[in-house]
Amino acid sequence: MIDFLQNWIYLTGAMALVGIGLYIVLTNTNILRIIVGLNIVDSGTNLFIVTIAWHPKSVMPIYTATNNLVVDGHVVAADPLPQSLVLTAIVIGLGTTALALAIAVKIYQKYGTLDVRKIKEEDK
Amino acid sequence: MKTYNFAALLVGVPLLMAFSIPLFGFISKQLAKWITVLTLTFEFLFSLYILLWHVYPFNVIMGNWVPPFGENLYIGSLATILIVVISFVGLMISIYNLWSAKYGDVVHFALLFLMFVGGSIGLISTGDIFNVFIFMEITGISSYALAAYGPERRALGGAFKYLVISSIGSTLYLFGVLLIYTQLGTLNIAEIAARISQTTPGLLTFAGILLVAGLAVEAELFPFNGWVPDTYTGAINPVSATLSGIGSVGGVYVLIRIVMTVFGKNGNFVSTYGNLDLMTLIAILGTATVVIGELSALVQTNIKKMLAYSSMAQMGLVAMAFSIGSRLGAYAGIFQLINHSIAKAMLFLILGVIVSFGGERVEDMKGLWYKSPFLAVTFTIGALSLLGLPLFGGFWSKFALVDASFQRGGWYDFIMAIVLFASVVEAFYYLKVVGYIFTSKPAVSEKIKVEISPAIPIAAFAILIIAIGIFPQIVSGISYSAAHELTDKMSGYVLNVIPTIVGH
Repeated sequence: MIDFLQNWIYLTGAMALVGIGLYIVLTNTNILRIIVGLNIVDSGTNLFIVTIAWHPKSVMPIYTATNNLVVDGHVVAADPLPQSLVLTAIVIGLGTTALALAIAVKIYQKYGTLDVRKIKEEDK
Repeated sequence: MKTYNFAALLVGVPLLMAFSIPLFGFISKQLAKWITVLTLTFEFLFSLYILLWHVYPFNVIMGNWVPPFGENLYIGSLATILIVVISFVGLMISIYNLWSAKYGDVVHFALLFLMFVGGSIGLISTGDIFNVFIFMEITGISSYALAAYGPERRALGGAFKYLVISSIGSTLYLFGVLLIYTQLGTLNIAEIAARISQTTPGLLTFAGILLVAGLAVEAELFPFNGWVPDTYTGAINPVSATLSGIGSVGGVYVLIRIVMTVFGKNGNFVSTYGNLDLMTLIAILGTATVVIGELSALVQTNIKKMLAYSSMAQMGLVAMAFSIGSRLGAYAGIFQLINHSIAKAMLFLILGVIVSFGGERVEDMKGLWYKSPFLAVTFTIGALSLLGLPLFGGFWSKFALVDASFQRGGWYDFIMAIVLFASVVEAFYYLKVVGYIFTSKPAVSEKIKVEISPAIPIAAFAILIIAIGIFPQIVSGISYSAAHELTDKMSGYVLNVIPTIVGH
């Protein structure tokens, strides 16, 4: 399979983004910041998906006269499947963010605040 | 391998009708509601045809791209019975919605509801591990919007909490799927299941934890179920019924499919590959869910919150039943899942009628018998089924669960203790409510008039619960053959999808 450890810097970046996003979601009390954290988690996952499909010596996955997909019995083409998966993941992330922002607007209209703790106090 | 491509309509029709509902909504709002009823009637009759004429197990292979090269839907005995249950519960809730959806944007509510049911059916029938993610997001996004619907502002807080937890969960699930993809280069569940031993154990363990963490959000298992009380309490009652009757079924199905079929080993008792035994992990999470859910439900004064915590606890029982790993255990889990889905959906629907005439505290249930004997009797039937009294549906599944843990022996005897503990605690808080209903005098002697459209689903659920209690054969036969699909992964699942594959 793909020798994906060659891209360790991107993989580390993806993991770091997921970690940063989770930290933001868990520690912030403002709803908008939580939505930004969700977005960062999404970005980390998308970066991870793109990274596992690609390594520094890979070529484009389209067969032409000068573009050899197989060299010395090893597939050197980038893997096209995760790149199509990432499109779906990006669109889904966009939809979730839009819905979250719509709910945040509604919350601000009904409660007059975006602080999670104040909302909890008002509900009691 | 049998192919029956018409079954793609099971997923296609609800999604198509969902997005054409705004067009019907231009004509009249009533028409939009009736379209949901008609679509779900079609779903229910078609799935009943698949069940009764024994069309299952089959694959849906569009465009002659046979798995593992193309995407497929696999509908075996487990998927069949769960689709029947989901479309039945969905049909009943849509009939109820004819009465209950009165205010606000009724047309888009019908759209979201149909999309949620269609997404759940897709989640159960798909044979591709990435499509599971897509259907999870279809059900997820529609259920966040459904949970935020309603006149009360507390719905928004619950919906937002659900959105944050569930979208992080599905992101973790996607991470796990991609980790498996780097190892095997395939996304087909059957091929992954057959070749799972070719992976690196460390990465597999990591991927397994990510997958379980992601799926446990929908399956309401302990550390990931913080959203349950707030969302169920905030949402309007038909939505709570939808989430507990349909959403949790899809979540549990995928969790069990991943843990038992993909990660499982063939054998009398399912155990798992990798350094970490996922079945033990599920057992621990399930036990914690039962204990925490039941004890939290015991102290609630708001009856909706009580039902939400009870729903959590019942999901813990289901997860524990599957984690026993034997065929009887899987049978008990499926049976318990079906019983819970029917009974809890009914209780939420009854509560919807009661709340429209009064409050939702436990004290407001006092004297319900004098206000409306119909609601009092049906509520009692649902409560007795959930706590597992003989002659009601819930008895047979809890009995099978105790039997399965007894046969497995070892430390699984512990599960028996947990089930009995759960039954006692459930008896305590449900019988308290039932006692209020029958013995107390009502504060206000105003009668509750139940109209025909909410009465039909409540009566149908009640009759079904008693029917299952008296003739458990109507569910137990298909559940037992469905259990074989889970415990014997090669002959039960993988070879039905890809006949030529060799297990490793």
